[in-house]
Amino acid sequence: MKKIIKNFYDYLDERLHLEDLVHFMGKKYVPVHSHSLWYYFGGVSLFFFIVQVITGILLLFYYKAGPDLAFESIQYIMSKVQFGWLIRSVHGWAANLFILSAVIHMFSVYFEKAYRKPRELTWISGMLMLFLGMGFGFSGYLLPWNELSFFATKVGSDIAGAVPIIGEPMKILMRGGPDVTGATLSRLFGFHVALFPGIFTVVLGIHLLLIQRQGISEPMHFEQLDKKEKKTMPFFPNFLLRDLLLWLVMLNVLAILAVFFPAELGHKADAFGSAPEGIKPEWYFLFMFQSLKYLPAHILFIEGEVLGILLFGAAFALWLIVPFWDRKTARGEQNKLITYIGIFVIIFIIVLTILGWVA
Amino acid sequence: MKKIIFFVFTLFLLNGFFFLHGKTPESSDQCFVCHEQLGGVADLFKKDIHFQKGISCSGCHGGDSKTDDMDKAMSKSAGFLGIPKGDDISLRCANCHAKKEMMQKYGSQLPTNQLELLKASVHGKLSTNGKEKIIQCTTCHNAHGIVSVKNPVSPVYSLNIPNTCGKCHSNAKYMQTYNPSLSVDQVAKYRTSVHGMLNAKGDPKPAECASCHGSHGIRATADTKSQVYALNIPETCSKCHSDAQYMAGYKIPTDQYAKYAKSVHGKALLEKHDVGAPACNSCHGNHGATPPGVESISKVCGSCHALNADLFSSSPHKQAFDKEKLPECETCHSNHEILPATKAMLGVDKEAVCSKCHTETKSTKGYFVAQKMRSYIDSLDVSEALALKLIYEAEQKGMEISETKFKLRDAHQAKLEARTMVHSFNEEKFKEVVIGKGLAVTTASISEAREAVDNYFFRRYGLMVSVFIISLLSLSLYLYIKQIEKKQASKLP
Repeated sequence: MKKIIKNFYDYLDERLHLEDLVHFMGKKYVPVHSHSLWYYFGGVSLFFFIVQVITGILLLFYYKAGPDLAFESIQYIMSKVQFGWLIRSVHGWAANLFILSAVIHMFSVYFEKAYRKPRELTWISGMLMLFLGMGFGFSGYLLPWNELSFFATKVGSDIAGAVPIIGEPMKILMRGGPDVTGATLSRLFGFHVALFPGIFTVVLGIHLLLIQRQGISEPMHFEQLDKKEKKTMPFFPNFLLRDLLLWLVMLNVLAILAVFFPAELGHKADAFGSAPEGIKPEWYFLFMFQSLKYLPAHILFIEGEVLGILLFGAAFALWLIVPFWDRKTARGEQNKLITYIGIFVIIFIIVLTILGWVA
Repeated sequence: MKKIIFFVFTLFLLNGFFFLHGKTPESSDQCFVCHEQLGGVADLFKKDIHFQKGISCSGCHGGDSKTDDMDKAMSKSAGFLGIPKGDDISLRCANCHAKKEMMQKYGSQLPTNQLELLKASVHGKLSTNGKEKIIQCTTCHNAHGIVSVKNPVSPVYSLNIPNTCGKCHSNAKYMQTYNPSLSVDQVAKYRTSVHGMLNAKGDPKPAECASCHGSHGIRATADTKSQVYALNIPETCSKCHSDAQYMAGYKIPTDQYAKYAKSVHGKALLEKHDVGAPACNSCHGNHGATPPGVESISKVCGSCHALNADLFSSSPHKQAFDKEKLPECETCHSNHEILPATKAMLGVDKEAVCSKCHTETKSTKGYFVAQKMRSYIDSLDVSEALALKLIYEAEQKGMEISETKFKLRDAHQAKLEARTMVHSFNEEKFKEVVIGKGLAVTTASISEAREAVDNYFFRRYGLMVSVFIISLLSLSLYLYIKQIEKKQASKLP
């Protein structure tokens, strides 16, 4: 057996020069310190993305986009297709866990100030993937074509439509017309299975390439240490195997969640029916949704909701370009303001999400 | 001087004349004095209740009734209005009849809302010529010979009402101008009804047009406020038919409404407000209301329950019922108190209607067929209950079972079909519906629901196995990492 593997490896090595790659990976080291745990969340996010791709492709074998077929095809997947229920439930749960791990990954990078030079583009590509992940969530939410997804998409796209100037065209683009209809379903399906995955794959490729090229970021205090004082572990096999171990644990978590809390089917969407009570967006949009609800109808000369959307837009833009305005960190100095802003944002998101959840 | 004495004497005589005759329009109404000589309306007016109450011609026509100068009396300055026309007629009547104090002045207890009711009625809302409403007060009450409604000569006395209404409603040419789709045979039908025949015999108590439709406030039958709107019919009929005192002389029961209210028809109409459910008139007719005879009962019920009636007619029971002169549907289902047809009616138990005629010793074939038919329905019920229980269990376990649940509705449909098919009294046909359709559906549903429940446990066991394998892999990997790191540590200087 060993001989077969060796022969196969030699065959590939002769053509692809794998030895160079192994040599390169063998020289890569991951810093070991008290916050090393956070390094794993990038890999966990990647794992959930891979699960999404695999389960998504499997669902595509049976899913039929269209107002007359979507709900029925999901019903068929859930009741007739062998392990269809498992695939759909895993897809749903992996989507949520992907956003969660990506958010954790993003905050860990933020608090470690790992976005600082020379990793500005890694940060930007990561943020783009997080936004795309939310786009995946929003576009995928409508696909079962049930009451909840229909009205949540209606509310969500209405909010997007409130953005001055670009809001209305954006809403029309998203809906494929003035209302949420079968055209919206076809459009969001296209976004979900073709456009977003295409863009995501390119951005993910850039992100991974940058990580491999620049190596894993060291914490700021490492810069003061001698090379001998820096505690590290080899990327291959140590870090990769640990990553794999965490992937297995996450696979277990996914299986348990999918079996004990399977995805619901709900009732088929009816455009003429009344909206079910307590329409809420997915949990990762909840803090924004809840914040907009607290705003008064008018603030000075501007509508409260519009002002809220503009403020969130500005906050996201600032967050996206943090490597460029955080000059202090770029100079290698400690910037406590950034940390305080991050803590405030986390508290804000958690509190508003809880309030939105219990409302 | 002579002239003065003659004048005073004349005045004295006149005074004595008025004193003896009292204050009547005849004596003081110069309009009447002249018009009496002309005959015609004045002769009619003499019999009019208004004349008898001392109301002058000027009460309706205006003018000065005190002067014998015709020009002055009928001048515009004296307020002469002439013959009222169109809607003015009813307004002129309402001058007094809509005023309580005015009516009390003449000692009348009549209500004062007639014009209000008339305006809201179908007669007061519509117009055939666009100038005036269809009916004015005089259309039914006449103009100069108005007498009390209790007076047999009044056109609105109960015995005269059918003909009064029929003047228009039996006139096809006239009715075409107003409502071409409305039939014009109401009076003719009424004359064939029990109510109409008694009315024709001179009995004023049985219902005539106004008893059911109202008098001044008559509304279209489709109007929810109409006394004859589908939902209101049972109560309208019950006003007389539930009044034991009123119905005393007619020797018919007065519990029909109470029984009907408890029936499946009554509940559908009165509680669920299903206007398609039968009311009294659906079986008895409306204008030609009459109790259906033994022969016609199945035709009456069959007008809605057509399949049941057809099956019964071709069943062996038809001949048997005819021979015994039994009313077809009523024998098993009763008449006014028709209760929901449950399976309890079928079979040979005490409460089963079959056992009224079929026993183990008498008409035995029917006894055994009824027993079998009941056993089929019981089997379907048991099977359906089990299917529902299993579907509920699967749903509670979070399994997707909506298609099976939807399919199970066919079992209910089979039960409904069975309720019709039972009227064939043919065991094979009944079995085909209950067992062939119903039980086949419940059996398949049970199997699918069981599969869903089993699948639930399979998922749990599958999860246990996969969690175990993944955990084992994780543990192996963990130990492998430790082993590698131990080797790496040992190599370090």
